[in-house]
Amino acid sequence: MIPLSWILAFSLALFFIGLFGAIARKNAISILMGIELMLNAVNINLLAFWRYLYSAHMNGLVFIAVVFAVAAAETAVGLALIISAYRNRRTITAGDFDSLKG
Amino acid sequence: MTAVQIVFLAVAALTLAAAVMVVSLRRMMQSALALILALVGVAVIFALLGSGFFAVSQVVVYIGAIAILIIFAVMLTQNSMSPEHSQMNPGFLYAALGSALLFSSLVFILSMWVGFYAIPVNLDPSVDTITVLGLSLTDPQGFALPFEIVSVLLLAALIGGIYIARDHHRD
Amino acid sequence: MGISSGNITPILSILPEILLLILALVVLGLDLGLKKFSPALIGWVTVVGLIFSAIGGVMISGHQSGGLYIWGGMLRQDAAASVFQVIFITGAALTAFFALEDSKCVSAEFYFLLLISTLGMCLLAASSDLIMIYLSLELASIPLYILAGFHYRETSSVEAGLKYMLYGAVASTIMVFGFTFLYGFSGTTQLYAINAAIQTGQIPPMVTTMAVMLILAGVGYKISAVPFHFWAPDVYEGAPTVVAGFISTASKAAGFAVLLRLALTILPVLSPYSPYLLAAMAVASMLVGNLLAINQKNFKRLLAYSSIAQAGYILVGVAASNNLGAAGVTYYLMAYLVTNLTAFALAQVIGQANSNDDISSLAGLTQRSPVLAFSLLVSLLSLGGIPPFAGFVGKLLVFSAGVQAGMAWLVIVAVLNSVLSLYYYLKVLKIAFLDHPRETPLIKIETNSWRIAFIVCLAGILILGVIILPWYGWSITAASSLALY
Repeated sequence: MIPLSWILAFSLALFFIGLFGAIARKNAISILMGIELMLNAVNINLLAFWRYLYSAHMNGLVFIAVVFAVAAAETAVGLALIISAYRNRRTITAGDFDSLKG
Repeated sequence: MTAVQIVFLAVAALTLAAAVMVVSLRRMMQSALALILALVGVAVIFALLGSGFFAVSQVVVYIGAIAILIIFAVMLTQNSMSPEHSQMNPGFLYAALGSALLFSSLVFILSMWVGFYAIPVNLDPSVDTITVLGLSLTDPQGFALPFEIVSVLLLAALIGGIYIARDHHRD
Repeated sequence: MGISSGNITPILSILPEILLLILALVVLGLDLGLKKFSPALIGWVTVVGLIFSAIGGVMISGHQSGGLYIWGGMLRQDAAASVFQVIFITGAALTAFFALEDSKCVSAEFYFLLLISTLGMCLLAASSDLIMIYLSLELASIPLYILAGFHYRETSSVEAGLKYMLYGAVASTIMVFGFTFLYGFSGTTQLYAINAAIQTGQIPPMVTTMAVMLILAGVGYKISAVPFHFWAPDVYEGAPTVVAGFISTASKAAGFAVLLRLALTILPVLSPYSPYLLAAMAVASMLVGNLLAINQKNFKRLLAYSSIAQAGYILVGVAASNNLGAAGVTYYLMAYLVTNLTAFALAQVIGQANSNDDISSLAGLTQRSPVLAFSLLVSLLSLGGIPPFAGFVGKLLVFSAGVQAGMAWLVIVAVLNSVLSLYYYLKVLKIAFLDHPRETPLIKIETNSWRIAFIVCLAGILILGVIILPWYGWSITAASSLALY
């Protein structure tokens, strides 16, 4: 079988790639994609812990299901706001959103 | 090294490569397609971990809904992108360095924990995990409350999303 | 099967939440059926419903003093949860009234989202399970992202919503990543069970400290503590003023409710460094908030930085992690609710009259509206911690908790910061009272609902500042119910 350490290292790598995307990218949709990668890392962690250590209880699996639902809700709201912002400004580059500086 | 381990390493490498493409490619559409590849990789990992149910959910929810939604948004806002310009914030090298540092220190810290070296127990074949999960989601002494609250959350996201994204100029 | 065959108590025990949900659906239904009637009706229905829901909450808390786990350990019914629920519902009711003055916010969707967000906060205050904490935090936040962008024709509002959403999602994901490790270390998601598992599990403190830091990122965002504060000025400035007021009071109180529960249960067990992490966040928030507030030209941005500094003072009580600290935090949040809502309500009407939020346009407020100028005085002095206003009592309590916990250095920093903060509060007051008005558009208040809510807030500042004992008793009951195992 696959050692747990491999899976955790993989999920940590995925999480920090996503975090990098969320911090470093200008574009709002790219930031959202980074967040999706981070949420996937969360789910891999949960499933790995459940499978390797605590498969007798259901908390881990319920947590995964909740994260799925929250991810869907967050993405829907995020994209709605992005479309609304685009309608106002014709841009979705977070750096261009400078009407709120100073 | 067993066959499962080799498959895991290959899929993990592919997924991480796709994830790097998601956060680095200049054309949004390409990064959205790379996102789908990464999400498929995660679904395969789920299957390798013995949860076919979540592997399928991953495909249905993330790829079928979220990734498609993102692709729609990319197409709707397409003319605001100029792939000639960098899609990165000025300090992105520091962000990359910081992420890499945090990643390695977290792996190092976690390696101090005995659970890091756990070996999986075989799942009891007589227990149907999905049935137990389904029952616990409707059990008031289990997870009925979060299950109901999720429905409220989705309703709120739906109504809010429609309100904000609706084309009010055509009202 | 299901709920109906079981005991009725679990249903009764979440009565305020159920009433909130029914109310939210009623509001949506009213919009379908009664659109032709006065739109203000929806606001009044919301407020009446919120009052009923608060009464329901108080009634339950009356005969439940100790902690009782309900819904399979998802929620813990205790006095702390009830007190915080009353705080959130009060904040929502006042916001619902203030919103009637802003014609662009009077719609069923606005009240629906406000109620769902309040529902999330109420659940958050009672959550005793990691799954429930994450879910209710999102339920409280996601409607707020939309409310921040609710003025969809104004670029600044939509951008505020987008920024709030993007960084909020990042912060909550970092927090849930920390939660996964807690689950991994302990095998349970139940807060009070995690403790036992961690204590027997012999997990190196470095490992658990890492999880604590990840969790503090998510909660720190919610309470706008440095270094997770950067969203606050932009969001407060761009969002509709009523929404900014709600975010800075009720939503911040929700963050503190969960942080308090964490700080009194799992944080000390997880990491011996957690009081110092919290103290460091407190010092950084006070310094950054106060120093950056000094040079602000926009009133709402000034309130944003002031609110970051206030989060720092409250964190002193959380870092103390004792009974008095928890009581002080609760009292402070009650005081802060009425005080900051007054300030934002003023920003709302003055901003609408001047069509900008510049501090300089407050000039000569005494001549334009003596009542509003007096209210500005009351709320800013209360924010600055001057007796006999509510803010003073809150500060007194959290600072004495800090001394009691042996963190005298932290309290000295906090007191010096309060003095520093008086500088910019008084600067605003000087402009309002002594400067001559440059422009004098009439400040009109069109709705009685706004007046009622405003009077309630002002009365709250005075009552919480003068009649201390009943509220203090409430806070102490709440605090001691948290610590019970």
